[in-house]
Amino acid sequence: MKNNTLHVALIEPSQIISEGLTNILLKSKQHYHIYKFDSLLEIDSSTVKEKLNIVLINPSQLYINKTDYYHYFRKIIPNAFLVGIIYSFFESRIMESFDAVIKISDSAENIESILDKLMKSKSQFRNNFLSEVLSDREKDVLVQLVNGNSNKEIADKLNISIHTVVSHRKNIIHKTGIKSQSGLTIYALSKKIIHIEDFAAY
Amino acid sequence: MKITDLFFENPSLLLMMEHFDLNFILNNKTVEEVCRDNNINKELFISIANLYNGFLQVNESNLGIDDLNLIIKFLRNSHQYYINEKYPEISSLIDLVHQENDTPEIKLVKKFVREYFEDVAEHLDYEDKTVFPYFLSLVSPEAEKKSATNVSVKIYSEHHSDIESKLDEIKNLLLKHITLKNDRKLRRKLLLCILELENDLQIHSIIEEKVLMPLISKVELHHLNEK
Repeated sequence: MKNNTLHVALIEPSQIISEGLTNILLKSKQHYHIYKFDSLLEIDSSTVKEKLNIVLINPSQLYINKTDYYHYFRKIIPNAFLVGIIYSFFESRIMESFDAVIKISDSAENIESILDKLMKSKSQFRNNFLSEVLSDREKDVLVQLVNGNSNKEIADKLNISIHTVVSHRKNIIHKTGIKSQSGLTIYALSKKIIHIEDFAAY
Repeated sequence: MKITDLFFENPSLLLMMEHFDLNFILNNKTVEEVCRDNNINKELFISIANLYNGFLQVNESNLGIDDLNLIIKFLRNSHQYYINEKYPEISSLIDLVHQENDTPEIKLVKKFVREYFEDVAEHLDYEDKTVFPYFLSLVSPEAEKKSATNVSVKIYSEHHSDIESKLDEIKNLLLKHITLKNDRKLRRKLLLCILELENDLQIHSIIEEKVLMPLISKVELHHLNEK
């Protein structure tokens, strides 16, 4: 396949690590095109920006003098995955910015499979990243859930299959980060999807 | 390495010291000295300190049955920290939020949080009163007389994932979904407070699942072989 090359930006101040990682990637089965940068700012002004699939970055380059460049990153390269190169301690807040991390103890095969998995997760991830807003149908299902209806009851009422109900439920959990019925009730109230008057159990 | 240097690097290690029941004034001792003076297995101390430093993996092969007492003491002290310190702190912050925002959803959040804390307290109490004493009885001299119980690793971890996922919901509701008035300071305090709790809970689960349970399995196996 022609289109199989992955474009990877590498921002890593340590030459040993940077060279080592480059070597590992170049030896792997996957074909990588690697671009080295000194900073995110440099990527912004480069022409390969649009092509990038993955940005491998040392967390210290994402948080310079306590300034968080994460949102800047998402703005300039919204379509690339952000992968941390981790060899010292970083706060979990920082770790959570990454779509995946490569640790210094990872073997070459590990690194390959981390990047591979990441690229495979693409379509799913992209949807989540774009929208946390519930669709109208998901809202319908949410109202039913809050009222304590089972999957089967919801399917009957909304005239959809149980399978569809389940997939709506999954999306709701994914988008809101909330699983329990009481949690969802609070969510629905605060987003004015239900109103306190309609909600008998209150 | 001097132990105080560790604290300057990562202040959350002070919390670890509390859980270990150790004082902070250490007269510039090294980690090794502190462990020796307090009769703590250095490997155990370092493993747990590494958890607090963000390396969320443990190698329990260096730990033995002798460490069990201390591990359980550590876990019990963390329970106290959750129940006596963290939960009241979060509840009172939510009360403040409620004062500023008298809305139905905040009332429900309060109820949700209260019920969650009650559930967790019940689970922690079960560990303190049933699970830990059973573990300790396994290493006591009369251990042979005890029969196996149904405390299983699986039930154990299910409980924990529930504890963590509910806390996640609370975090999402309060910080992402619910609109609040005059919220900046309160939201920041709440977030920091919840993150502190979350971090300690995460370490707590790792210690229970990756350190405690493998040790217990070893002890149980040992007893079985003797029979």
